[in-house]
Amino acid sequence: MADERSISIEVVYRGIFQKTLAQRICRSVVLAARKSGHTGTAFARYGDSPERNGVPAKQFAVVAADEIELEASMAKYEPAVVDISIAVDDTLAKGVESWAWYGRQPLWKPVRENGWLLVTSDKAPEAVLAQTDAAERPYTLGIIPGGASFAGLWVYKDDHTDYRVLGAIAKIAPQWMSLETAKSTALELAKGDKGAAASVQYGYDATVLRPVKKGEGTTGHEHLQFEKPGWTKMRPGIVVDARKPGERNPQYKKYTARTMRPVVNFDTCIKCTMCWLDCPDECFEVTPEGHYEVVYEACIGCGICAQVCPVKDCIVMVDELKFTDNTDKWQLWKQDRPKYNAWFEAMSGVSADPKKAVAPNAATSAGNANPAANPTTSAGGDD
Amino acid sequence: MAIETKLRESSEVETEQLATGCEAIAEAIRLADVDVMAAYPIRPYDGVMQAAAKLIANGKMDVEYIVADGEHSQFEIVKHACAVGSRVFVGSSGVGWFYAFEAIAVTAGLRLPVVAICGNRALDDPGAFGCEHNDALAVRDLGWLLCWAETAQESLDFALTAWKVGEDKRVSLPVAIGLDGAFLTHSQQIVKIPTQAAVNSFLPKFDLGDRLLHPDNPITIAPQVDQDWLMEIRMQNDQAMRNALGVITEAHSEFKRLFGRGGDNPFLDEFMTDDAEIVFLGQGTLSLPMKVAIRRLRKQGHKVGLVRLKWFRPFPTADIVKSLSRFKAVGVIDRDYSFGSPYYGGVLYNEIRSALYSVEKRPVVVGFIAALGGREIEQPMATEMFEKTMAAASGSLTSGDACHWIGVRK
Amino acid sequence: MAVEPKASDTPLDLPQIKAVKDVPYDELFVSGHRTCQGCESALVMRHMVKASGPRTIVLGSTGCMYVANTTYYTTPWVVPWMHTQLGASGSAALGTAAGLKVLMRKGKLKDEKINVIAFCGDGGGADMGLGAISATLTHKDYNSLVLLYDNESYANTDIQLSSQTPYGAVTTFSPTGTEKRLMHTRWKKNMPGMMAAGHPESRYIAAGCAAYAVDLMNKIRRALELGGPTFVHTLDPCPKGWDYHPQYSQELGHLAVETGIWPLYEVVDGVCNLTGPTRQIAEGRKKRKPVYEYLRRQGRFAHFADEDVEHFQAQVDKMWTEWLIPGVIPFTVPQKDTALLRIDKKAQPLHETAKTA
Repeated sequence: MADERSISIEVVYRGIFQKTLAQRICRSVVLAARKSGHTGTAFARYGDSPERNGVPAKQFAVVAADEIELEASMAKYEPAVVDISIAVDDTLAKGVESWAWYGRQPLWKPVRENGWLLVTSDKAPEAVLAQTDAAERPYTLGIIPGGASFAGLWVYKDDHTDYRVLGAIAKIAPQWMSLETAKSTALELAKGDKGAAASVQYGYDATVLRPVKKGEGTTGHEHLQFEKPGWTKMRPGIVVDARKPGERNPQYKKYTARTMRPVVNFDTCIKCTMCWLDCPDECFEVTPEGHYEVVYEACIGCGICAQVCPVKDCIVMVDELKFTDNTDKWQLWKQDRPKYNAWFEAMSGVSADPKKAVAPNAATSAGNANPAANPTTSAGGDD
Repeated sequence: MAIETKLRESSEVETEQLATGCEAIAEAIRLADVDVMAAYPIRPYDGVMQAAAKLIANGKMDVEYIVADGEHSQFEIVKHACAVGSRVFVGSSGVGWFYAFEAIAVTAGLRLPVVAICGNRALDDPGAFGCEHNDALAVRDLGWLLCWAETAQESLDFALTAWKVGEDKRVSLPVAIGLDGAFLTHSQQIVKIPTQAAVNSFLPKFDLGDRLLHPDNPITIAPQVDQDWLMEIRMQNDQAMRNALGVITEAHSEFKRLFGRGGDNPFLDEFMTDDAEIVFLGQGTLSLPMKVAIRRLRKQGHKVGLVRLKWFRPFPTADIVKSLSRFKAVGVIDRDYSFGSPYYGGVLYNEIRSALYSVEKRPVVVGFIAALGGREIEQPMATEMFEKTMAAASGSLTSGDACHWIGVRK
Repeated sequence: MAVEPKASDTPLDLPQIKAVKDVPYDELFVSGHRTCQGCESALVMRHMVKASGPRTIVLGSTGCMYVANTTYYTTPWVVPWMHTQLGASGSAALGTAAGLKVLMRKGKLKDEKINVIAFCGDGGGADMGLGAISATLTHKDYNSLVLLYDNESYANTDIQLSSQTPYGAVTTFSPTGTEKRLMHTRWKKNMPGMMAAGHPESRYIAAGCAAYAVDLMNKIRRALELGGPTFVHTLDPCPKGWDYHPQYSQELGHLAVETGIWPLYEVVDGVCNLTGPTRQIAEGRKKRKPVYEYLRRQGRFAHFADEDVEHFQAQVDKMWTEWLIPGVIPFTVPQKDTALLRIDKKAQPLHETAKTA
């Protein structure tokens, strides 16, 4: 650690879905540190509250050698700099836009030079790095094996993500949390379930560390930052200009709330308008042919369109990390249908040919391709 | 209720009426061509709503008169009517004022120039009708302008001034007018009713400009903010309140020019202070028995006077300092309480002391809690306050006797 | 953007929408609001202004649709919009409508039809703001619509119990625990029925659901067209508070109606019409689904034991078999009094029988 007297850890997560998960991680970091004689504090970022399903949020754990060190981290909304950032959903690699005027921020933004960015993912470090903003300073990317855990709110479906994360922290910051204290903390949290300690060990052993040099990563993501005007420039009476007809909110785009995105087979679309009608984020726009295309800058990936679409596999939800941009795809379909359909098939894993009822290719369509296969809660699926 | 009538023909000449403070305000509502008012019964302010209802019933004015389901609704109704460009009026008293308090707070935040009267009344429990100033004083930190009338005439004059100052774009803040319950709300006095033409030239039409909530001016008002924005918004309100001092001064001199009333100073009314060594300072109608006492004390050869504070917000710090630093001692009479405050003084006492703190040549300040619950100020009480202030002026004041309850049974 | 947005195609006189294809294309509530994935209440906002058109002023009381939607220094609203306090939706509607009316009468504003809609959540409307909404519904000279979007909890503040939270549901104020399985055992307040029964001069009261979008938009239009003070209550599946995957919002809306838990109806000038599947259920053309199909899909009912489901079913059955008007008026009359109380309009009232005797 650069500063051996304290360590700051943040957990970046999907609002509501992973709130309990983030809370468990931050609390267990502090409780584990306590076992080693340290003290600490855990808190959620107040600005994220009220949390919204899918919208990126943060919680923190700060551990210090003593109370005096800890005071420097108290009565704050968030630490300006963290030693370790943990993203519990790899699609957060595309950036974090938590509310209006916040802009889209690189996932590593608060990570100090030579700090760590840990991401739970079933992908290789290179794949995650390819979707992460180009580094402004060196850090180490760690991949904690496993998919995103949408463990739920009322009913917490523990898939041991929290324990694997503890193992990973023990690996990179043993002076604050030894493997043994991580394990005993996990055992307490899991009420004696030995599998929890095994998961800590697995996280410790299987986390892959990949040093990232300055400049590594993608420069393809949108730059979205805003200046805050002062009181002489702000309109009096708490007045804000209304949106103009046809405009979208330029100061809050919300696409970083998305873990999956819909792709549309325009050849099978029957122009029924249901996707457009039922979208709570106004993200569909009509084409001259009467199809409805997704404006990816506005889509937050709820999956309602896929659910209400009456045509099988016309709208398919696909893992967000498969995409590198937010360009609308209808133009491509218009210009080159075979090319578009090849793209559709590659992304969705289902045939674009309406005549072929091809079963999804298991290799390309991971669980994510079918939204019903990725319920976020125990009660969410059509079980 | 909507009674569609034409406005009364403008009266050509100033007339006189025997009117209560409430009835005088109702005349001001008529003269100001108020668009929306909301009523709910509570003594003693509601005399104004009764008087206004009668004016409407008799076709003397055209106002949307809404009988609300409670004070919170009353204040919310006029707040929203104001946002679409209506000149509005509302009021309450005592615990009714407090029932409306959420709406009262947001109206200032929104910078909407609602004009309200507070017919001052003691807060429950126990239920009480008499005058205390704690109800109106509760708005003192929120961004409401706040003034206190002494007479029915001044009630009318302040009301007209309130719309002019509150609606001024440099201010754009709500205004509350304190009317002492019973003594002013319910006592009839001779009131000069100005001509419509004079009022029209004094009071411009209400224009919210680009803050008007209307489909032709699409705006969003008051989105949720976080810590990144609120200090700047509060700063705008602070600036508006600072601007109000100058705007009140302008309005005062224009009022004086048109109507020939309003005294020398927009913020203070001084009585027998020219050669005074000690003065009393207070708000509202307690000035009246105090003037009687001062005349009596003068006859006995005491150099004593009275400073009546007309505007509590914005607090006229410079005028207060200039005026009070001429005297040896000031006896501040609070018709309010502030339990547990510095020296256990009233609200006004601590404001005056604070204003004088950095003045090199400052008078001794003595505080009196008096006339609570509508108790009258009797001459022996005035004598007692005089003696205590005199004693302080001669240097025998200790911090233990900085503030006194007057006329309370042991 | 695929095509330039069309010029406003929302007619000002608000005819009823016959089919989905007739739904106005223009968005008056645009993307970039901080609502949850799959937020049905956001959809209600969108449909509400689609139905009302651009000549509308919207007042929004505190709740999700305030805090999530309008984050300073931006807005998703194309139409003029103003915040109002949690319990003030009724007063906001009334004050705005009264202001417009008098200013137009006095010639201070151009005389034209401007729709006034104040929305509130179930906490703001059915709890805190009930009195003000009730008052507004008696002020028949002012044209306004109060829209209550009901996601069955104070979902904004952290999902706390409201008077609209269904029996037994988990909220942060009614968690399930080792000693108490159910912390909340009150039945949901019958808000639209109460509004209809209590405000005889309101020309339009309705219960809707965004899962039936055209039905909902037509209800909003009818409310605004009939004028005077009107009230529409929508049931909005809430993935956050109800704990289900956001993709199922529409399906849960359908299930709420198909199980008979949330009847769709409107009371127009004192005449009650059941609409959508609710009418089909009443006519016997559609069988009510068991409530279990609805309850099992939501994490907030995951702690239910069989007896809880049975109680829930029994209460819903009662709504349909015992209420005076199924799902609307929650009492009935003794059989012997059906003539006396004019339930049986053909029967001769008792006092007339007495006279002839």
